[in-house]
Amino acid sequence: MRTIARKAGFYLLTAWAAISLNFLIPRIMPGDPADNLINEFHGKLSPSAVHALRVLFGQTGQNLWQQYLSYWHSVFTFDFGTSYAYYPSSVSSVLGQSMYWTLILITICTVLGFVIGTALGVLVGWKRGTWLDSLIPVTTFLSSIPYFWFAIIIAFVFAITLNWFPFSGGYAVTETIGFNGGFIVSAIEYAVLPAATIVVASLGGWLISMRNMMVTTLSEDYVRLAEAKGLPRRRVVFTYAARNAMLPSLSGFAMSLGFVVGGSIVTEVVFNYPGLGTVLFKAAQAADYPLMSAIFLLITVLVLIANLLADVAYVFLDPRTRES
Amino acid sequence: MALQSATLAESESGESVESRNGLRRRLLHSPLTLTGLVITLIFVVLAIIGPWISPYDPSAVSDAALAGPSAAHWLGTTQNGQDVFSQMLYGARASMIVGLGAAVLTTVLSVLVGVTAGYLGGIGDEVLSLLANVFLVLPGLPLTIILAAYLPHTGNAGIILVITVTGWAWGARVLRAQTLSLRKRDFVEAARATGDRTSRIILRDILPNQVAVIAAAFLGTVTGAILTQASLAFLGLTDVTQWSWGTILYWAQVSSALLTGSWWWFVPAGLAIALLGTALSLVNFGIDEFINPRLRQAGIGTKKAQRAQVKRTRRSLRRRARRERAERPTRAPFTSESTDLILDVRGLKVDYLSGNTRTPAVDDVSFALRRGEVLGIAGESGSGKSTLAYAIARMHKPPAQISDGRIIYTNPDGSTVDVLGMSDAELREFRWEELSIVLQSAMHALNPILRIGVQIEDVIIAHRPRMSSQERAARILELLAIVGIPADRANSYPHELSGGMRQRAMIAVGLALDPEIIVMDEPTTALDVVIQRQIIEKIVELKDKLGFSVIFITHDLSLLIELSDTIAVMYGGKIVEKAAADEFYRNAQHPYSRGLLNSFPTLGGPKRELTGIPGSPPDLRRLPDGCAFQPRCPVAVDECRSTMPPLYRITSSTGESSEAACLLYAAAQSTREMSEDGARAS
Repeated sequence: MRTIARKAGFYLLTAWAAISLNFLIPRIMPGDPADNLINEFHGKLSPSAVHALRVLFGQTGQNLWQQYLSYWHSVFTFDFGTSYAYYPSSVSSVLGQSMYWTLILITICTVLGFVIGTALGVLVGWKRGTWLDSLIPVTTFLSSIPYFWFAIIIAFVFAITLNWFPFSGGYAVTETIGFNGGFIVSAIEYAVLPAATIVVASLGGWLISMRNMMVTTLSEDYVRLAEAKGLPRRRVVFTYAARNAMLPSLSGFAMSLGFVVGGSIVTEVVFNYPGLGTVLFKAAQAADYPLMSAIFLLITVLVLIANLLADVAYVFLDPRTRES
Repeated sequence: MALQSATLAESESGESVESRNGLRRRLLHSPLTLTGLVITLIFVVLAIIGPWISPYDPSAVSDAALAGPSAAHWLGTTQNGQDVFSQMLYGARASMIVGLGAAVLTTVLSVLVGVTAGYLGGIGDEVLSLLANVFLVLPGLPLTIILAAYLPHTGNAGIILVITVTGWAWGARVLRAQTLSLRKRDFVEAARATGDRTSRIILRDILPNQVAVIAAAFLGTVTGAILTQASLAFLGLTDVTQWSWGTILYWAQVSSALLTGSWWWFVPAGLAIALLGTALSLVNFGIDEFINPRLRQAGIGTKKAQRAQVKRTRRSLRRRARRERAERPTRAPFTSESTDLILDVRGLKVDYLSGNTRTPAVDDVSFALRRGEVLGIAGESGSGKSTLAYAIARMHKPPAQISDGRIIYTNPDGSTVDVLGMSDAELREFRWEELSIVLQSAMHALNPILRIGVQIEDVIIAHRPRMSSQERAARILELLAIVGIPADRANSYPHELSGGMRQRAMIAVGLALDPEIIVMDEPTTALDVVIQRQIIEKIVELKDKLGFSVIFITHDLSLLIELSDTIAVMYGGKIVEKAAADEFYRNAQHPYSRGLLNSFPTLGGPKRELTGIPGSPPDLRRLPDGCAFQPRCPVAVDECRSTMPPLYRITSSTGESSEAACLLYAAAQSTREMSEDGARAS
């Protein structure tokens, strides 16, 4: 329990650092993005939107500390101002619409990629030295592929050439969003290709790290001894080798998660998937700083939550972290 | 009162810091690594000469819009008729500059932070580590996107800066851990003690030993930076008029190259990124295997090699019916006259295979273990004693291979069986039921994530499937009581037990099925003297009560003399002397044994000078000709350099007999009465 509390404390600190960083970045960046943006709208921005922009870049009369306090106030009230890419929608309403798409797609795919990759890693590690080792260069190649490029190829083959799956969007326009059969079927159909991209592109990394940990663990004395004790193979592979080999993989989850999520959101752009990735792309195109900051905050918080969950799982799997 | 512990010289093993030359050699030897290096080099060369060899100006428009690959345009053209091949060549330079530039900056920052934190320790370390951890958890790409979005027109320098800011933490964390462990090494401690300047210690003693890790971090960052640059360019966050692989993909995406089916536009750029990434990862694999030697062994651990671990044809054996064994009848205590053999090892030879060379680690070793006997095997590190222990239980792993010999086990019913001829199923039944093993470090031999009770129960479930869970629980408590562990500790994890208790738990695991023989490979080495004493007393007590035989392997000769009935001394993979323990103590025959005995003080008896043995244990790969001990032997003669002495039987003045492999006894004995084993050895 203490371990989890300490971890939670660390993530709170990290969240604070990220949110403060988000406050700081617009204030220390060179140039004058605010004026550029205002000029781009040729006076079509409402006065309140202009004010919001000045607030974001710290161009109000307040001192830094007051700005920081009111920034925190806006964070807690989810008031991130007006989006320019989706003008005149507010940032929070844009995020509210796109967040769930990404959340569902990426959660499922990251978990799937981790589970499949780790399971294959256990297999390849256990059968080290067989033909399965020739999978290593293949998976290395897979894990070196840029997610978005892999998405382009997948889309080109399965959506454009073979026409098996829809190419663009999150659901058929004929359906209405809601909890109804037609929409769910359509959403799943549209999610197949983005999901396949993320799962295939991410599992290579998990596979290789798990395989290497498995090989290292298999030469541990306790695995040797388990074999000598005459335990059934399944017990040796899973309870003695894999469960121990998985621990570093799980603690490396933190590092990889940011990468996987980052890669996944770029994947959305290719498929024009209605999630955060596509929104981020449009925001970047339109230099919509309020929207970009809010997306960064949102993703950071989600990644931190995922990390905390991984840490909880770690504590369950490794008794050494459970100090009484 | 504990006997003064005297140990043989332990040579520096494993831990020694490997040289940079070793790294270079390894990298060039692996075909995969070599492939990776070659591909990387090709890309580097292309990046350098690209603009000169490119056939067109990458931005020049022409009429040949969206033309497929042809002789004029190797990789086809874009919507504006620009040559994709030329764009690729120019792009290679931009991607490489960002990749290498970011990697150099990132690595410098990682090294600075990591080494400083690790070396200084204290509050500085705490703060830097926390900072690194925070940056590790922050999702890199979104942060990069935000930062890059604010710096749209700073070009490559801006991108490099952004990648450095978001990417230094991983390397810093790894290097900090490495520095921490290096700092505790003797050579660094020594340099600090002699007052060397900190900068000098870091430059001379610490950094050179981190080359492999730094290289791995560097290559990893190159891949990461190229991928990040491509992502940013694809999102249109870089200067899209400057050609890079990412910008090519950006234009392909915004011009709907997908929908027009112009695959030549978007395939090459991604392929190049993936290929370069793969090549760098392959080089990194080579470095990984260098850092982690266990990975190197992976290729050798094949099923085929596993099966070939015993290199001989299987003899047909009388199958033993599976039985639930009854309580073993109490036997008379062991005496030196006993002839009741339980394990007869004959001419055992274990080689380590590496390429085409065989290094014998156990060479023609023969000994007999009698029922109830404690046979002590002594030897320095590298004498082959642990290999012997593993080979007896057939627990050795490739590249070790038993190339010759027999291990004859006598069943309680009097029938005999060759352990080396057993099938996997027979072996599974034999091990633990008849022969179990207790390993040196209980910390490593117990599964850290399973409770002690469960680890004992695992054995029972595997071998006694019909036992009920209540019976099993009762047996576990009984076993824990036997080795003196409180019953409630059955639910403890290994890390919750003290070192001595863990070792007793290991013994409990070894005793679980009430075996006839227990092989103990340095079971007390890791423990302090007082705990060592408790464990030894426990083993003796259990042996007397339960009547099993013990093969006890250690480098601690004083312990062995006290504990064993019979002692065998190993040197250079061979047994050089075999004698009853008290005879050995009073009358060691082999010059090596005498040297060993003279290197530790006795409790009683007259004072004598402690001499020790000059020189160091032999390298098994380069054993000297003739007697292996001859270069260190104080009484060696010319003949010793050419003749390998067999074991000679020697009868002392008191009538006790022993065996020693030394030419001293060939000359002294007129009758050249060679032992049975000696005859086979010659």
